[in-house]
Amino acid sequence: MALDATAMPSLKGAVSDEEWDARVELAGFYRLVAAHGMDDLVGTHISARVPGHPDQFLINPYGVLFDEITASSLIKVNMDGDVLSDGPWPVNAAGFTIHHAVLSGRDDVMCAAHTHTVAGMAVSSVEGGLTPLTQKHMRFYKGIGHHPYEGIADDADECARLQRDLAHHDALLLENHGLLTCGPSIRSAWALLYNLEKCCQTQLAVEATGAELVTPSEELCESTRALFQRMLQKPGFGNLLDAWESSLRLLAREDDSFMH
Amino acid sequence: MPLDLTQPVPTIDVRAAVSPEEWEVRVELAALYRLAARHGMTDLGGTHFSARVPSKSEPPEHHFLINPYGLMFSEVTASNLVKIDIDGEIVLDNGFPVNPAGFTIHSAIHMAREDILCVAHTHTVAGMAVSCLKEGLLPMTQHSLRFHNRLSYHDWEGVATNLDERERLVRDLGDNYNMILRNHGVLCCGRSMPEAWRALFALEKSCASQLQAMAIAKATGRPIKLPPEYVAQGTSDKLESRHGKETVSRDWPGQLAKLDREEPDYAS
Repeated sequence: MALDATAMPSLKGAVSDEEWDARVELAGFYRLVAAHGMDDLVGTHISARVPGHPDQFLINPYGVLFDEITASSLIKVNMDGDVLSDGPWPVNAAGFTIHHAVLSGRDDVMCAAHTHTVAGMAVSSVEGGLTPLTQKHMRFYKGIGHHPYEGIADDADECARLQRDLAHHDALLLENHGLLTCGPSIRSAWALLYNLEKCCQTQLAVEATGAELVTPSEELCESTRALFQRMLQKPGFGNLLDAWESSLRLLAREDDSFMH
Repeated sequence: MPLDLTQPVPTIDVRAAVSPEEWEVRVELAALYRLAARHGMTDLGGTHFSARVPSKSEPPEHHFLINPYGLMFSEVTASNLVKIDIDGEIVLDNGFPVNPAGFTIHSAIHMAREDILCVAHTHTVAGMAVSCLKEGLLPMTQHSLRFHNRLSYHDWEGVATNLDERERLVRDLGDNYNMILRNHGVLCCGRSMPEAWRALFALEKSCASQLQAMAIAKATGRPIKLPPEYVAQGTSDKLESRHGKETVSRDWPGQLAKLDREEPDYAS
C-alpha cells in the first residue's frame, strides 16, 4: 500500500489553533505552487515558523508530491533538526539546511519558499541575474541576494553563507539552482515568489529576442523601489493584491484535501 | 485570524437594485474576468477590467463597474462587481472594497472616451515582454495585423498613482483602442465586451508568437518575414470594420454558453 498524505489522521485539535491555521495555509501554498506549474516533483520546499514557537518550523514531508500535501502531513522540526511530529516521511536534508538558515538568521521571517522552475533556474544561471525590465521587476531592484552554488545544500556549513547572501533581502537567487523568497507571513512569501517567477519568465522572453529594449532609467527604478518600500511599511499592504484567501478558496473548491 | 475557506464569498444579489442594462453589462464584464482567468491572463489580485454603466440620464452619470479588490478573477460575479464614480468612490455598496489607485489608468480613458465601454489591463508575461521591446508589436501574423497602425504606446512613468499621468495616457491612446504600456503591460479597450475580449486574446497571442519568432531569428540568423504593407493595412481595415457586428468575436456566444455550463455563478 503506497503512502498517501491525504489519508493521514487529522491533527486538527491536536495542535494549537494557530499552528493548525499555519498548517492549512502552508499546505495551500504547496498546492498553489503545483497549480501554477512551479513544482519539481518532490523537490524544493516551503517552510513556515510555528506560531508561538519561533524555534520550530513546518516543512514538507519529503516524498509527497506538492499537489498532495496536506495540513496534517507537514513535518514539524526545531532548529536543531529534531523532528517533533509523527509520520512516515523524512525531512529533505537540503531543505532543512536552507530553511533553517533563513528562519534562524531572520527573526522577521515567518515563511520561506524555494523553487526550481525552468525560468528561475535559467535566470539564476545567467551572469547578472534579474534585469530591471518592468514595473513588476522593481520590487526586486537592488533587493535580491545572490548565493553561489556549492552543490546539494546538505552541508550545515552552508547556513552561514546563505544568511550572508540573503542579508536583509526578501528574495535570493540561488545561482545555478533556483529561487527563494521569504516574508513576514505565508501569503507574503507566496506573492513574492509568484511575482519573482513572472519576472524571470518575462526576462527570458525579452532577452531571447536580442532586440533593442526600452529600459527604465535608474532614477525611475530607484523611485519605484522606494515607493514599494514605503508601501511595504504599511501594515497589511498587499493583503488584497495577493488575493490569498480567494486563491485558497478556489483551491478548496477543486480539491479541499489540503485542509485535512 | 482563522480561515474559513469552504464558505463561498458572501454576496448581496444586486440584480433587483440595478437597471436591466446595467445588469447585462455586469454579466458580460464578469464573463470577461472569467475568460481572462481561463486563459492565464491574471496577476493574482492585481490589474483590473472596468466597464461604463449605461446611463439614461442627461448629463450621464459616469458610473463604472470594477472588480472587488482581493478576489481572483475566477471569483468575480455580476453582483460582486463594485459600482464606482470617476474618482473611484463607491456609489453602490455591495460590501466589497476597490483599489482606487488601480483605477487611475481606467478613469483617464473613461473620462476622455465615451465610445469605450470596457477598459482591460493585464500583466501577462508575453504582454510585459513585448512592452520592453523598442520596436513594439510587429505586424507579423493575422492576429497582430488587427493592431497594425491602430496600436498606441505609453512610456512608463512609475506606478500610475499620479493623476497628471491621465492626460498623457489619453494623448497616447489617441483614437486607438489598444495600447502597450511600456515596461508594464497592455491595455485593451472595447466598444463592446466581445470586442474587448477579442483584443485581449489577439494581443496576447500576437505578443507570445512574436517573442518566439524573434528568438528563432536571433538564434538562427533567419530573419522574420512580414506581410507586404498593403496586405497588412487591408487586413487591419477589414478586422476594424467588424465593429458592432457578430463577427467582431464569433466565439463570444460560445464562450458564454461554456461559462453558463461550467461556472454559472459568474452571472449571479
